[in-house]
Amino acid sequence: MGKTLELTLNGQTLSFGEGDTILDVAGRAGEEIMTLCHDPRLKPVGACRTCLVEIDGWRRLAPSCATKAEAGMRITTHNERIDRHQKALLSLYLSDSVSEEATHDTADASQLHSWAARVGAATDWPHLDSQRFERSDDRNPYVQFRADRCILCARCTRYCAEVESVSAITLAGRGSKTTIATTDARSLLDTSCELCGGCIDVCPTGAMTEKKPLAQRLKPARMLDKVRTTCNYCGVGCQMDLNVDRAAHQGRGQVVKISSPETGVAPNDGNLCVKGRFAYQFIDHQDRLQVPLVRGEDGELHEASWEEALQAAARGLQGVAKRHGADSLGFISSSRCTGEENYLVQKLSRAVFKTNNVHQCSAT
Amino acid sequence: MAGLVTTFGAGAMTNSIGEIRDADFLFVIGSNTSEAHPIIAMEMKRAVHRGATLVVADPRAIWMTNIADRHLRLNPGTDVALLNAMAHVIIEEGLTDEDFIASNTDHFESVKAAVAAYPPERGEEITGIPAEQIRAVARQYASTRKAGIYYTLGITEHSHGTDNVYALSNLVLMTGHIGHASMGLNPLRGQNNVQGANDAGASPVFFPGYQRVDAAGIVDKYEASWGTELSRTPGLNLNEMMKVAGSTLKAFFIMGEDILLSEPNVSHLEEGLNDVEFVVLQDLFLNETARFADVIFPAACFAEKEGVFTNSERRVQRVRKAVEPPGQARADWEILVALANACGADWHYESPAQIYDEMVKDAPNFAGISHARIDERHEGLQWPCPSAEHEGTRFLHKGGILRGRGQFQAVEYRPSLELACEDYPLVMSTGRTLYHYNAATQTRRDPGTDEKQPEAFIEMHRFDAKKRGLADGDMAEIRTRRGRVECRVIVSRQVQKGCIWMPLHFAEARANLLTNDAGDAVTGTAEFKVCVAEVSRVQSAAPVDRSVDRSVDRFPGSYYSEGGAH
Repeated sequence: MGKTLELTLNGQTLSFGEGDTILDVAGRAGEEIMTLCHDPRLKPVGACRTCLVEIDGWRRLAPSCATKAEAGMRITTHNERIDRHQKALLSLYLSDSVSEEATHDTADASQLHSWAARVGAATDWPHLDSQRFERSDDRNPYVQFRADRCILCARCTRYCAEVESVSAITLAGRGSKTTIATTDARSLLDTSCELCGGCIDVCPTGAMTEKKPLAQRLKPARMLDKVRTTCNYCGVGCQMDLNVDRAAHQGRGQVVKISSPETGVAPNDGNLCVKGRFAYQFIDHQDRLQVPLVRGEDGELHEASWEEALQAAARGLQGVAKRHGADSLGFISSSRCTGEENYLVQKLSRAVFKTNNVHQCSAT
Repeated sequence: MAGLVTTFGAGAMTNSIGEIRDADFLFVIGSNTSEAHPIIAMEMKRAVHRGATLVVADPRAIWMTNIADRHLRLNPGTDVALLNAMAHVIIEEGLTDEDFIASNTDHFESVKAAVAAYPPERGEEITGIPAEQIRAVARQYASTRKAGIYYTLGITEHSHGTDNVYALSNLVLMTGHIGHASMGLNPLRGQNNVQGANDAGASPVFFPGYQRVDAAGIVDKYEASWGTELSRTPGLNLNEMMKVAGSTLKAFFIMGEDILLSEPNVSHLEEGLNDVEFVVLQDLFLNETARFADVIFPAACFAEKEGVFTNSERRVQRVRKAVEPPGQARADWEILVALANACGADWHYESPAQIYDEMVKDAPNFAGISHARIDERHEGLQWPCPSAEHEGTRFLHKGGILRGRGQFQAVEYRPSLELACEDYPLVMSTGRTLYHYNAATQTRRDPGTDEKQPEAFIEMHRFDAKKRGLADGDMAEIRTRRGRVECRVIVSRQVQKGCIWMPLHFAEARANLLTNDAGDAVTGTAEFKVCVAEVSRVQSAAPVDRSVDRSVDRFPGSYYSEGGAH
């Protein structure tokens, strides 16, 4: 990094490191700048032009996401000229997208509409009716592209290329027909797509959206509670938000969607994979065990009360220990269960049954 | 993990996942990272986009080999020969870090003597990798400062799994690539909480925090804490338990595992279970093992309870309750408390937070961790974290090896227990896919992942398929010395000639009817990764419907089938 570099932003003197963009510097100083196409995981492209700032001595406004900070720069992030530019820009985006009400069925509140409301963008400009192609017959079960909401910020295609690195979706076509497409308009299932759903997460307009909540007419995400937890699949331990409809299932609650945490949160930096994001339907599956079962005299498993089942289990285990000794028992704990539960299994084995025959299912 | 405890003093990833993006050299061996650990693969992709060198050592072509600078396609089970040959080159060319070796390690001379017998030409003979490539990779690894090694079960699930880990540790120790960010030796854990289960003492030899059950001072401490006398004899490990089920072991308590789907050589295990007198299970679903159960408790899933999981990078993170469990199901910890009390114990736990506090009280490495601290920080805490003021540990061995001095361990190449022969000319390996998880009790209950990968299959080289009259999509019988299953054949560019590969997720074609339960001498981990097999066409099977569009893969998105990627 070497010597300290400084610039002035809204009259404030700020230091920065080599390679920082103006947006990085502003972000650290707590100055909010509007962005749509920006994502810290992606190379900046300056496509959406919402983050323009004024730099003394520069004739044109500059995209703060793609402009490197330079020593001595004098930068303004809010003034009449910038406000006018942002208002016109967002009014244009709105005329190429759907109304705010139309986004209410989707998952998360559209960033486009919330910014538009904040800058007072016009909602009554003539609608552009862009002829964007969408794959309405794509049979993939997770991701739906709704072309009428897309503003071509290309966050999804860049995420697909730069982070997931599969380039299953790309920009295709020209002019007002430009769209987000797959090779030969194939279903995502028949492409290199790995169904990570990152395109849904990065989309600022709700054009990339999750199919399941739409198809099942579940409540939109803004009416759901988010519970931050740790994924139950592999050993990466991704942080994720369970989106819960509290009233569903007679008040038991239902997980209706899983979303990423914000970028920068360890260990997954806002990324999830197909299993973490989508494979949660087992939670509500009809095959879930709901009552204790005890094997009867007839050799079949029968439903039992908790008390009966606990007594039967205790009798059975203690009987074997008595007949064959403590080391005739084996306790198999689970790497799928919590640390506390594993602690209790080994304590049960060691302190109650006096054996060290305890291991977990995947000790290597 | 026993291997790493011996060489370094801690069985865990030395580094953090977030450091991968800054590494300059990544050596990925025995890890199909993009399928088994997709998020870690994203970090590796990021490093490669930045300009890092990626070398993948794997008998099979995997997605990561697409972006790798080099794919070392070694013969299955020959890892030690490759790693010893790399060590040979590093020593021969004077690329060792002599200062580090002198001040931080023991027994370098023994390794030096052992690997003298592994010139790259001998490595080539055994592994099939050209000697020049072995030389080049060894030089690159040794001469790049930020060089990290990443491995998973492709290293450990062998009869010589611990030797493989020793051989990797030797490379790290002789180059001093440890104790700083983005370098080191990193086992990527397969299950959400393998690390946490080991940490919590679900082990026949360790109390919580890797404190031995046969160390007098330690047992005394736990006897005082728990107010009861304890056994001082190490117990049986899982593999041993499976082998003596029914003979010495007469009862099982099993939480959250389907041993009949997950353990190797399962027909032997089934016979044993017939002689087991009593089995208690607690699980989310009725599983295969339930046939032998006397009592089954319905358990809550991760979304229905509180607690912690510890990930691969030693980060203790919270699991939070979002919804209520269905019916009368209860959290595993609640069931365990009730069961212990029904057995005469006097346990009083109000919450997982309280249980956690009890655990860390006697385990110094975790002493500074609590639910309250994790909740405050929003990003978990990485052990070692010895006090409430400690910020956790991003990478291990900073300023010196944890156990005092790193231990070199000389190892010799030993062939896998089964080698291709006339009756079983194919070498079979098993593994995971992106779309399913372990026994797939969860992922196969989701319409999406199930549609993407609906049924069991083996991958086979076109040469071997042709020889057996098999075409892509045909049904085939796979036989090993232990059993047989039927499943579909994918004629694949992914496996090499003479090898087949099978995912372990599918109950209708259980890979573990086929695999060898002979285990590693130290850990007992079974040799899931190498056994010999023969494959033949199933005559009675319905022919594949050729009217379907073959330009679209049978297994949609399957990158490596002969149809190729789109």
